[in-house]
Amino acid sequence: MNTMQSPHTAELMDAYRAELPQLEKLAEQASNLLQTALHEQNIQLNAFQCRVKTEESLVGKLEKKGHKYQTIYDITDLVGIRVVTYYTDDVDKVAVIAKQIFDIDWKNSVDKRKHQLNSFGYLSLHYICYMKEGPLRNIPFEIQMRTALQHVWSAIEHDIGYKGAVKLPPEFVRQFSRLAGMLEMADDEFSRLRTTMTDYRRQVQSLVKSGHFSEVSLSTDSFRQFLELHPFDRLNQRIAAVNQAEIYPAPIMLMMQYLTVFESFRFQNLGDVQKFIEENSEGAYQLALSQLAITDLDILSESVGLQNLCLVYVIKQGGGLYGIKAVYDAVNGEQASNTALAENILRLAQQLPFMHKL
Amino acid sequence: MKTTFEEKDGKYVMHFEGRLDTAASVQTEQEMKVLHNCEGHDIILDCAQLDYISSSGLRLFLALLKIAKAKGSKVCVAGMNDNLRQVFAMTGFTHLFEFV
Repeated sequence: MNTMQSPHTAELMDAYRAELPQLEKLAEQASNLLQTALHEQNIQLNAFQCRVKTEESLVGKLEKKGHKYQTIYDITDLVGIRVVTYYTDDVDKVAVIAKQIFDIDWKNSVDKRKHQLNSFGYLSLHYICYMKEGPLRNIPFEIQMRTALQHVWSAIEHDIGYKGAVKLPPEFVRQFSRLAGMLEMADDEFSRLRTTMTDYRRQVQSLVKSGHFSEVSLSTDSFRQFLELHPFDRLNQRIAAVNQAEIYPAPIMLMMQYLTVFESFRFQNLGDVQKFIEENSEGAYQLALSQLAITDLDILSESVGLQNLCLVYVIKQGGGLYGIKAVYDAVNGEQASNTALAENILRLAQQLPFMHKL
Repeated sequence: MKTTFEEKDGKYVMHFEGRLDTAASVQTEQEMKVLHNCEGHDIILDCAQLDYISSSGLRLFLALLKIAKAKGSKVCVAGMNDNLRQVFAMTGFTHLFEFV
């Protein structure tokens, strides 16, 4: 025991040591409960931390303001949980969940976000909580809820040592305020962006599902939605029938790489992609047939139809060897052997019916 | 069909020689199992002496790719001639492998 401690501090420290196993149990139970609830509500977190106050930290606290505490459980952050979300909206959602699963001591809980309007307005939401039932229900614990940017603010503030400063020169106060305002605005903008993006995705989804392809601009989101309609399945099945082949699923990332190819074709919307499928499927089938019929290859990638569609489109557009190689470069990465592949395709294509209709 | 395995510069290298057709694939599948314990090692499939690959051969490569990916290892195909490259291209599998 530290001989410099006051009798009151020493008494509280003894109580803390005696209660430590209970505190550790509470930390585990409360954090499990909260984590499960957050997971069920699908709230994405930047961080979830839980700790029992260390002896060293507690001594420090008691030395500064030990007189405020009569008993060990007057100290409400012996067990602390910190939930760091990505978005400000989610801080409120976490708070609602905490209210549902724990009893909140409203008298001691603080929404520091609202308290500091004239300075930063940029702090966490703190709840002092109790378990609703069980043997640990009389021990308080603290939940801090904040966004990732608030967390960064808090960490930098701690590092700079501002928090304890009694009086700062006005120019520093102004600098802090400007930064806090900027972060707060960034937090709000990220939340707004998420809402707008979600609305956009819903709109795209509905337009794609209703078949209004020409109203949907070509983008990562819209093309992903379009792929969910399996637009290349008919062509793939026709090609697979040549050798009764199995179709091996292609990773979504590969299919998305074709967006680069579509950009080079200057496609603007999903209507352009749909038209491209309709106008080139027969040629793509002929091209695949000319390659596969002389083999016994009975396993094909799901991307085979799309690949042949792009090759046929380029040939029809007069893209020649360079255009075909550009498709292979975009999808397979630039490789010297892509030239040989392109030469072979161009040679095969010369014999095919679609070439004679041009 | 002949395969040889070696560990070179921390990478697992398998050399293929001859024709990887349906008949050879059963034996080759057994021989490729040594590559399955590839945690921490990238894999090179040296096909410089490979004359032919059938669907069975492709399936062996795809199966290995799946296992290696799950273990965080990369699979590179080296020295493949133009005919073999065309097999990968016409089936649409070129993108899955890194060719060196």
